[in-house]
Amino acid sequence: MSEKKKPYDYVESPFMLTRREFVIIGGIIIALLAVPVVWLRSALVNRNYYIKARTKGLYQDDVSSKIRMSHENPAIARFYKEFAGHPLSAVSEELLHTTYVNRMNALS
Amino acid sequence: MNVEVKTYRKGEIPGIIAIDGQNCRGCDACKRYCPTGAITGMFGATHRIDRDRCISCGQCLINCPFGAPYETVDTVEEVQAKLGDKRYTVAAIIAPAVRVAVGEPFGLPAGSLVTGKMYGAMRKAGFVIVDNNFAADLTIMEEGTEFIQRARHALFGEKAEHGGEIGPLPQFTSCCPAWVRFVETNYPSLIPHLSSAKSPQQMAGAVAKTYGAERIFKVDPEFIYTVGVMPCTAKKFEASRPEFQSACNFVKERGGASPGTPYPDVDTVLTTRDLARLLKRMKIDLAAENNAEGGTLFAEYTGAGTIFGNTGGVMEAALRTAYVVLTGNNLAKLEFEEVRGLRGVKSASIQLRDAKYGKDVTLKVAVVHDIRANIRPIVEDVLAGRSPYHFIEVMNCPGGCINGGGQPICDTGSSWIGRILPSFAWS
Ligand code: SF4
Ligand code: SF4
Ligand code: SF4
Repeated sequence: MSEKKKPYDYVESPFMLTRREFVIIGGIIIALLAVPVVWLRSALVNRNYYIKARTKGLYQDDVSSKIRMSHENPAIARFYKEFAGHPLSAVSEELLHTTYVNRMNALS
Repeated sequence: MNVEVKTYRKGEIPGIIAIDGQNCRGCDACKRYCPTGAITGMFGATHRIDRDRCISCGQCLINCPFGAPYETVDTVEEVQAKLGDKRYTVAAIIAPAVRVAVGEPFGLPAGSLVTGKMYGAMRKAGFVIVDNNFAADLTIMEEGTEFIQRARHALFGEKAEHGGEIGPLPQFTSCCPAWVRFVETNYPSLIPHLSSAKSPQQMAGAVAKTYGAERIFKVDPEFIYTVGVMPCTAKKFEASRPEFQSACNFVKERGGASPGTPYPDVDTVLTTRDLARLLKRMKIDLAAENNAEGGTLFAEYTGAGTIFGNTGGVMEAALRTAYVVLTGNNLAKLEFEEVRGLRGVKSASIQLRDAKYGKDVTLKVAVVHDIRANIRPIVEDVLAGRSPYHFIEVMNCPGGCINGGGQPICDTGSSWIGRILPSFAWS
């Protein structure tokens, strides 16, 4: 509380906060609001660490693969030769393609 | 809990993710990761998920600091029982992103590539391997051919071989079930733009129970039990879509034994977390396993298939093949650096000469991940007919499937704060 005498009388109202109380309470509110923000930032940093590590793992798998283009996969060639014929064939259309549904009308 | 749901069809699992009211502190963090605004609740109050809007991506689950969201479907015990049942061939369809994350719950460093150990551990558990990377290669063949057909139709007026309809450009990828459901619930007018190709998981299931049953496993398809092993919670929903009984229909049409009850292409789905739990229950330590081979034709995959798990990977894999098919030449450099990395929207222009038409074309492609932050402007452009792109890859999760909602949580999000500060908060 201010010790200095002011040229006017300060009447403390129970419904008013003193300047100091205001600052303290305001600070607590800001701190509480800031917690999620700080947490979020550290979580994002953490998350990006995992994203980058795993991404690297898969690119490493690509580089160390002997074959790196899908159409050169011999197992794929065998599948088409023995079974489906070629991409977009009737067998492919039946087994490897699909359709979608409009679900928006159900939402108001 | 039995609120009626409207955006699910009969047989579909109505929402994979729910929030446990006991654990939710109302901190609002999940809302900042949710792509659909499906989470409701005042700051400080228990939050809930509107299942009709939810696309089951699981981002809220892996990012909640209190571990409140949980999966409504857990089939670890069911899979373990099937592994113990000698009548069944239990086929694991393992997604690319699993092999760089499943080591984490066994104490290996983040991002360790453990394909060999994973094969070893899973074969020991009794699975046969259907690597979803094989199916990713198959997806490129189908989706890439479809894209070439659409592009030649739009650019040169080429007609479909069998006179069928050809979809419009841009073509969107369709391998992310959360993205597909996002389109179906928010932008159904974009459906013709979605590639008709199934996701690799669903292709793998259909192939395993037809060609696989006949030529590779040589067993009755009814006794093949297919288990998707996915970095993804939305894949649990995808497997329950009623149209995905194509192997069953295919076999029936060709005079195969008619099954008592129709079987789905993919019987059940485990997340990467579920797989780690299953192996631990079976006392198999993945980290201590020796490297093993996959042991089946379906374990043969290429580098193009494996990068599907990264944002930009599907596009890069498709471009590698499309370039060769269109030009008849090989690529000088396989890497398309423009579509790699964590920028929200990545784009590239590829100049090439279509050998069949003898014309130069510039293909414009875009890659979008983290739907929540990045998809709206792209979609608005397509709807307004002003999209400059021919082919657009969309993955819901930031970074792609390697950061999917089914991946190990470690300290990326959930629960660590709850452990450190159990009485933290406003609850
Ligand atoms: S505790 Fe978890 S579920 Fe609840 S509001 Fe926070 S992030 Fe969302
Ligand atoms: S699962 Fe995905 S869409 Fe559903 S509430 Fe969680 S973040 Fe939102
Ligand atoms: S980006 Fe991958 S993990 Fe995420 S919802 Fe889509 S398919 Fe699942």
